[in-house]
Parts: sequence; C-alpha cells; structure tokens
Amino acid sequence: MLRYVIKRLFSGLLTVYFIATVTFLAMHFVPGDPITGGKARSPEIRKNLEQKYGLDKPVSVQYVIYIKNMLKGDFGISYTQQNRSVNDIIRAHFPVSATLGIFAILICTSVGIVMGSLAGVYRGRAIDKWGTFAVLIGISVPSFVFAVFGQYLITEINKFTGSTFLPVGGWGTFKHMVLPAIVLELSTLAFLTRLMRSSLLEVVNQDYIRTAKAKGLPQLRIFFSHELRNAILPVITFLGPAIAAITTGGFVVEYVFAIPGLGQYFVQAVQQLDYTVIMGLTVFYGAFLVFMVILVDIIYGLIDPRISLSKA
Amino acid sequence: MSRLLEVKNLTVEFDTYGGIVKAVRGVSFGVDKSKTLAIVGESGCGKSVTVQSIMGLIPMPPGRITGGSALMDGKEILGLPLSEANKVRGKRIGMIFQDPMTSLNPTMTVGNQIAETLRYHDGLSFKEGRKRAISILDQVQIPEAKARVDQYPFQFSGGMRQRVMIAMAIACNPELLIADEPTTALDVTVQSQILTLLNELRKERNMSIILITHDLGVVARMADEVAVMYAGQIVESGTVDQIFYQSAHPYTMGLKEAMPDRDESKTHKLKPIDGSPPDLFHPPVGCGYYARCPNARKVCEKTLPPLFDVETSEMPTSPGSHQSRCFFHHKDAAKLTTLPRDLYTRHTGVNA
Repeated sequence: MLRYVIKRLFSGLLTVYFIATVTFLAMHFVPGDPITGGKARSPEIRKNLEQKYGLDKPVSVQYVIYIKNMLKGDFGISYTQQNRSVNDIIRAHFPVSATLGIFAILICTSVGIVMGSLAGVYRGRAIDKWGTFAVLIGISVPSFVFAVFGQYLITEINKFTGSTFLPVGGWGTFKHMVLPAIVLELSTLAFLTRLMRSSLLEVVNQDYIRTAKAKGLPQLRIFFSHELRNAILPVITFLGPAIAAITTGGFVVEYVFAIPGLGQYFVQAVQQLDYTVIMGLTVFYGAFLVFMVILVDIIYGLIDPRISLSKA
Repeated sequence: MSRLLEVKNLTVEFDTYGGIVKAVRGVSFGVDKSKTLAIVGESGCGKSVTVQSIMGLIPMPPGRITGGSALMDGKEILGLPLSEANKVRGKRIGMIFQDPMTSLNPTMTVGNQIAETLRYHDGLSFKEGRKRAISILDQVQIPEAKARVDQYPFQFSGGMRQRVMIAMAIACNPELLIADEPTTALDVTVQSQILTLLNELRKERNMSIILITHDLGVVARMADEVAVMYAGQIVESGTVDQIFYQSAHPYTMGLKEAMPDRDESKTHKLKPIDGSPPDLFHPPVGCGYYARCPNARKVCEKTLPPLFDVETSEMPTSPGSHQSRCFFHHKDAAKLTTLPRDLYTRHTGVNA
C-alpha cells in the first residue's frame, strides 16, 4: 500500500515535470514576449529589461534556471504585476477558488448521486423523464448562460422581496458562494446524475441482484447494500478529474460573479505572455490534478476489494 | 400423499417488442419431502422461467403470471405481496443459480452475503451471523472456512463460488432448494463434486430439491422424479426409472438418441433432433413437438394432446405417476415404435 502510494507520487512528479517542460517550450515558441508592448519603448530599455529578467540568455539556460528555482518552490516574480511573486498570487487567490470548488463538488456529488439513484430506481416514470430532460440542459448549456440567468433571477427575487435574498456578485460570506457554486457545478451535476443512473441500471440487472432477491431481503436493504455500493464505483472514478476541473476551471464563473479567484490571473497571464505566472499556475494546476487523480485511485482501492493496491 | 410443493397449471407470459411470448403454458408438477425433482429440457423451453416465477424473480413487467397456483404445504405462494413473499424465499425456499461467477455480489465478503440472510430472516446478531456463516461454509466443504469467511468472491474459484452460493441458499434451513442449472458453468470434475454435495445436504437436512438441467446425465444421477419440458409444457413426467427405462414421449426418446454414451460396447449412432423448437410468440395449437416428431400424425397438428398415463407391461404403474403428452399413449392408439434396446438405460452421460 505505502509502496504503491510512493510509486504513484513519484510518477505524478514526473508527470508534473513533463507538464512544466512542455509548457515552458510552448510558451517560448509563441511569438512576442512579456516586455513587448507598453514596457519596451526603445531598444535600450528593452535590452535593460531583458537583462533584468534574464531573457537575453538562450532558452535552454533559462529553462535550467527555471526548473532549479521551481524545485526550490520558487515560481518567480510576475512580469506584469509590480513586485508580485507567483507564489503570492497562488497563496492569495487559490483558497478562494478552492473554497468555491469544494462547495460546488459537495453539492454536485450529493445531489447527483441522489438524483441519479432516483432516476434509476424509478426508470421510465415521470421523475426519470424530467431528470433526463434536466440533465440534457445541464450538459448542453454553457455555464455563463446559467450564470447570467441566475443573476437575473436572483435580482428579480431581491427586487420583489425588497431585501437581499442572495448577493449576485462579490465575495466574502457564505451567501456569496451559493449562486456561483450552483452555476459552477451544474454541468458536472448533470453528468454525474447521468453516470449514476446508467451505472445503477446496469447493476440492477446483474445476477447478484437476483440472488439478493432470492434471499428474500427487503428492497431497501437490497438497494443500499447491493445496488448502491456497486453502482457508485464508476462515479468515484470520475470524481478526481471533476474535482480538479471544478476547482480550477471556474474562470468564467469567477469573472461573471466578480470573485477574486485564481482563474482570472491565469487568463490575464496568457494574454500578456506573463511567463512566470503562466508557468507557475500551469504547474500548480497540473500538480493539483495529478494529486487528485492519485487520491481518488487510492480511495477507489479502499472501496473496491477487487482492486489491490499492494500488488500494483 | 401430501407434497411439499404442488404447482398447478402455471402460465407465464412476457411482453416484448415482438409481441407476447408464452414462455410457460400450463405446467403442473409436485415435489415430495426430501426428494429431488429434475426438470429437464433444452434452452428456452421455459424451465428457468417456471422456477423463477415460483420464487417471484421474473421481472414484472415485462413478465406476467397469467394463471395457475403454487401451493407450499397447502398455502399459495404465487402472487404474494413482497413482504409475504420475502418470508418464503430465502427462508423456506433457497435458490442457486447457473453462473456462480456473476451471482455473488463482488464487493461484499462471502461471510456477509451468507450472514445477511440469517440476520434478516432469523434475527441473528452480527457476531452470531458470522459464526453461523463459518459453520455453513464448513458444511459445504470449503477448507479453512474461518479465513475464507472474510474474503471476497473474486478470491474464490468457480466451484468454490458455487459452494458459497449453496451455503447462502441453505443458510436458513429451507425445506426446498431450487437449483437452476447449478453445474452448467463448471468443469466436469467440479460438477461431480457439487452434485455429490447437493445430494449429501439433501439427505442430512431432509430437504427437497428442484433441479433444473439440460443434462440427462445429471438427471440420471440426481433425480427421484423427472419432468421433461418442451416448448413451455411438460411433455413427460415420471420417476427417474420410468423416464429412462420406459421413455414414452417421442421428445424424450429423441433426447436419448442424441446423447453420447460412455459405454463403448454400445454402438448406436448419435441422432440429432432435426429442426428447432416452435416460436413461442405463436405457440402451436397442437402438440409442441409436432414439427420435429418422426411419429407425427395429422391429429397432432390441430389438437393438443393431454397427459396420458403411460401403461407398460414391464413395470406396473399407479395412475398419474408416469404421464406422457402424446396421442400414442391414448389407450386405443397404436403402439409407438420403440428405441433400440440398449438406449433404455439410465446411466448415460459423463456425470452418471
């Protein structure tokens, strides 16, 4: 078990290293650089700046310096934001994205599993048909549409009641989190519901469910200890990437709701070719994703007895 | 004579996109206490559906029990509400299935799967349930039951899993064990062990068995009584000796002619039964076997033969004990051409 975890962590580190390398190269192949434009007004200034940031050195040397610093945990200083280190940016804004993301994940897993189960148990009935319809909408409508629509709806409610039922933007209290979290997880929720439903439908047709019925067990017991337990396994596999995607991928939602999350910095950095910020955030996101996938695999191994972590 | 289970005129249909399938068309049989009844027939003849509808295991819809009754000790067990049905299945009737690889819950220890029945039906505590599970695993001859009880099905071989299934089915001391092709998915040596085990358990516990199989060798070895099914009906029934030594219905004869014999001195040629079973979307009006029967007459096509008592000179029979659904057993009918002499034998097939 411990050996498995160490092995996975090591290969995870390797993955992150590759992510860093590929991003670094791709970034430097993109025409332009962070000091083109506003800053480098004359060739002399440009030269000075290049010297200051080390951009005059060959890419290979820059790469080695960068990797060395990265291993020390130092992602460097932003090119475009005065005196702000990438570590600072992550420290200040990732907790915001993470809190929102975790809240969203909690909503979508609990609601998704319950809704998927209901749709599966009452397949073909009204609840299943409406559920399928809702799932279709949830998957196909992009989140910014839901975001704007949600804001509009809440504004109308606030106007109607004359008090602030929920704020439509900003960050700070739990109430601020509710609407963006719901919007953020809608598509994942829809997907989870569908996954849970189909997984349950597959399980209820298995021979061992017939065996459980032949044993004369009551329906609720069959559902909880035989059907749900087995149907939930594929859902757990999906959770790792889903957590990473929701926690890190909320740029649009963060933008619409004016939430000071990490997403906007990432997009800004790419637009301005802010090398250090791009690199730092990519490596950070990559590491986060890899870690989540490993975590889910370990949890999966604990839940599904057929998967042996010690032999892998 | 009071029988443990008496099934009368059971009729089961399924709604499908292609129409209504009449899977079981008026089947009657009975099982005596601590005896084995074998129901034998080819794939799709309705033998599994018959026992599954007794257990309330056919999905409804699309399935539908349209008629008949199943009396256990004189009490109706068909069409009970779920809570009542659950007092019968698992408790009074245990059931094992064809494929032990898929019939066990993969994410639950075998001990819990056995104990779960005991905890629910007999109100055992968690600890007692586990203890009983170990002793039952011991009884179905699983070595090192104490260590095995906490293992998962994937850690067992096919034969061992079938033993676990049996352990589960007999946990609550049922009066009747229904075994739906229990050895079909197993290799021959394991088959033989499982059959021996079933027989031992039956004797020890005074349990009746309904054995579903398509293997006449298994029938010859296990059964006290036999019902031969074809196209959703029983075409011949009798004691195992009557079925083997005085095979009466042309279908039973056909089966025997198609069966290899391990006795090399017997040199009859294997003769397959031509054609295929009738379409149960539109079951024939007359005899189900009409289209394939070498002895078919005009009357067989339009009129369904009732079950006639088979009368033979060699073995005197009581009325109703040996029956055949064939007009040739009408008392005024001509004698049916018989099988070659050496096919009237009981020990056929690899499992005998």
